[in-house]
Order: sequence, then structure tokens, then C-alpha cells
Amino acid sequence: MTAEIKGLCKKYPSFELKDVSFGLEKGRIAGFIGRNGAGKTTTIKAMLNLIHSDGGSAEFFGLPLKDNETEIKKRIGYSSGTVSWYPRKKIKDIADTVKRFYDTWDEESYCRYMQSFELDENKTPIELSEGMKVKLNLALALSHRAEILILDEPTSGLDPFSRNELLETFRELKKEGAAVFFSTHIISDIEKCADDIIYISKGRIVAATAKEEFIKKYSAEGESLEDTLLRLEGGAKNE
Amino acid sequence: MNNILRKEMKLSASVLSYLFIAFGLMFFIPNYPILCGAFFVTLGIFHSFQNAREANDIVFSALLPIAKKDIVRGKYLFVCVIEGLAVLIMTAVVIIRMTLLKNAEVYLNSTLMNANFFAIACALVIFGLFNTIFVGGFFRTAYKFGAPFVIYIISVFPAIFIAEAVHHIPGLEKVNAFGTDETVLQTVLLLCGIKVFAAMTLLSLRASCRRFEKIDL
Repeated sequence: MTAEIKGLCKKYPSFELKDVSFGLEKGRIAGFIGRNGAGKTTTIKAMLNLIHSDGGSAEFFGLPLKDNETEIKKRIGYSSGTVSWYPRKKIKDIADTVKRFYDTWDEESYCRYMQSFELDENKTPIELSEGMKVKLNLALALSHRAEILILDEPTSGLDPFSRNELLETFRELKKEGAAVFFSTHIISDIEKCADDIIYISKGRIVAATAKEEFIKKYSAEGESLEDTLLRLEGGAKNE
Repeated sequence: MNNILRKEMKLSASVLSYLFIAFGLMFFIPNYPILCGAFFVTLGIFHSFQNAREANDIVFSALLPIAKKDIVRGKYLFVCVIEGLAVLIMTAVVIIRMTLLKNAEVYLNSTLMNANFFAIACALVIFGLFNTIFVGGFFRTAYKFGAPFVIYIISVFPAIFIAEAVHHIPGLEKVNAFGTDETVLQTVLLLCGIKVFAAMTLLSLRASCRRFEKIDL
């Protein structure tokens, strides 16, 4: 396993993340699906040590995150959808600052992504559309040869063409041996490119398995993945 | 630490933090509470914290491959660099007033404090108060800075008032020495100011590192 999340728990007054466990493997794309408020972002934050879990652990490359945070963060990339960092600073200044923290920064890849995402270095994040902000965050996350990419809602706000391009980028990264983990509430994204499905509902992992296994276990005859997830979520809502 | 300081200066800082360093020149103003200059310098730094919060700077920094305590150290380092530059300007002004302008009537007749080494020591104590109350207060949440700044203001103005008036207390006239008078006493007072500043800043830094480690971002 490239990453192993074991029994993460976090209790808030109105929400609880319960015993979240799953693994990520290199060369595979894992889609993390759940409705809004299911606990996707909380899980990701706990995986990155941005919040303190009440229990459980996260291991990356066989190393516990708790004792190896700096080393691990050099080897992972994170992008958080449309959140914009330093909205009034030029992209080139942001990139110039970020790259100094990574020995593995690949200027060529950075230029390639900037070009393919049609990002202008002289613009500021505030001048970008929501979709372009996602692309900027991704370009920064992808340019230091991250072995694991953790992406929180990377496709939200993207038009269908850009979404398709992005999913194609995931497939390329997978070929290069990276583990891609992305959260989404758009089921078609999972259908198109995920190898594994991690389905979370009400703070609890319902399934964390290969997509084929998931379909075999949960889908009724002739049912699409979207219908299956909607049915499961409907059931969870009625519980 | 160079990288994190660079990030602070290039991305997080407000231009006002740099411009307000020039308030160190207020040490030239006669018949004016010159320690307000130190307050304005901290006001400039406050703007950087405001800027940083709007730019999601803390979460951005937490995602970089650095230890969480280095984020705190970076902020303190930035604050100390700005304060240090202001102290350098104040020192230059004090030296000019102690030498070239030592007989200037306009300064000799002032009822408020003279710009000497004691004044620099007082400015350092003000910076120490800022680092303890405001910066330390900010790192209780890594988000809220309004209350820490109000508490700092409430503390700093009485401190300025006392420092400006202390030489009127019988027996304490020497703290307001002009030119090269009372050089030994003035140097001792300056060293005390440096020690107080260093102690307040280091204690605040240590507490902030401890608190920040526990914060959920």
C-alpha cells in the first residue's frame, strides 16, 4: 500500500467521522465519493494532519504521518478545488515561492501544465474563473512529482471539456505510477476513470474496494453506478 | 527558514508593513510622543496578518513540506525583521539627535521624552508587547486577530504614557539624558530593553508553537 488510513475518528458537535479506513495503491485512481457533508473534506484534512483526529492513523509510504510529516508532504501533492491562495499575487510569484520548498520540483512539468491548462503566469488567482483556479492548484500540486495526489473536489466548477481533460491527466499520472485520490460528488467522474471506489456516507466508510467489486456487490442487474449510489444514499438517508 | 521567511515577505506581507517601518523616523519629531512611531510600525505588521488571513495563508503554509512550528517561527521571524528594521531607523535618528542635534532648542525644551537609548529600549518593550499579546494571541486560533489587537492597544497606550512621562518623576530625570550624558546608564537601559524584548518574544514564540500544534485548520 502506498497509503493506509486506519480507523480515523473525529467528533464535532454536529458531525462525527467514524472509523474511516482505506488504502491507496500506486498506479491506481481512487474516487472518494459521498454527498455534501458526508465527511470527505474532514477525512482529507485528517489525512493531511490539518485537523487532529481523535483516533486512528495515516501512513504514507510505510511511514506514520505523525512522525514524518515533512518528508511525506514532499512526496504528496494536494489540491483543494476552488480555494484560492493569495488571490492578489501573481501566479509566477506564488509558483516561485512554492517551488523552493520541493527538491523534486520539475520546472519542465510546471511549464507543460501551465501551457496545457492555458494559465497565464502574469495573472492573479482573483482574475481566474473557478475552473481555472482548480487548474492552477493542480498545476502546482503536479509539478513536484508527487507520488500521491490528494485532490479535494478537483472537478467541481469545471466545464465538461476541462473535466474530461483533467480525468485524462489522472490517467496519465496513473500510467506514470502515481496514486491519485480524488473526492467528488459527481458520479460520472468515478465511472469514467476510477479504479477504486471509496464511498462515505454520514462520516462512515460504506465501501472501499475496486470499482468492479463495488458494482458486483452493490449494483442490481442492469443498474448504473449512479443509480446504485443514489439508491444506497437514499437508503442511508432513510435509516 | 529562509524559504518560509521569503514566503512571508513575498506572499503574506502587506506593503504597509514595509512602508510603516518609516514611522521609526517619528523619533525626529519634537514635542510629540515618539513611541507612537513604534505603535505605527506594529500597525503595519497587523495589516500583514489581515492580508494573510484573507489569502488563506495559514492553511497554504500547513500544506507545505515544513513542520507546523516552522510556520509559527516564520511569522515571528517576519515580525522581528520588520521590528528590527524599525529599530535600526530609530537608532540612526537617536545617534543624529545625540550628536549633530544635541543642542537643538526644539528638543531640549520638550516636555515629552527625548529620543535616546532609553527611548529605543521602550520601543523594544512595545514590540515585545505586540509579539506577546497580538502575535501570541493570534496563534490561539490562527484565525482571530481582532481581540488580540484590541487588547494590545489597551495595553500599549498606557505603556507609552508611562514611558513618555517617567522622567518627570523625581530621581528618574537621567532616563531623559541628552547627547552623550549618562552614557553608561543609557546603555544599561538599552540592554535591558533588548533582554525584555528577547524574553517576551521567545516565550510568546514557544507558547504559540505549542498552541498552533493543537489547532484544527
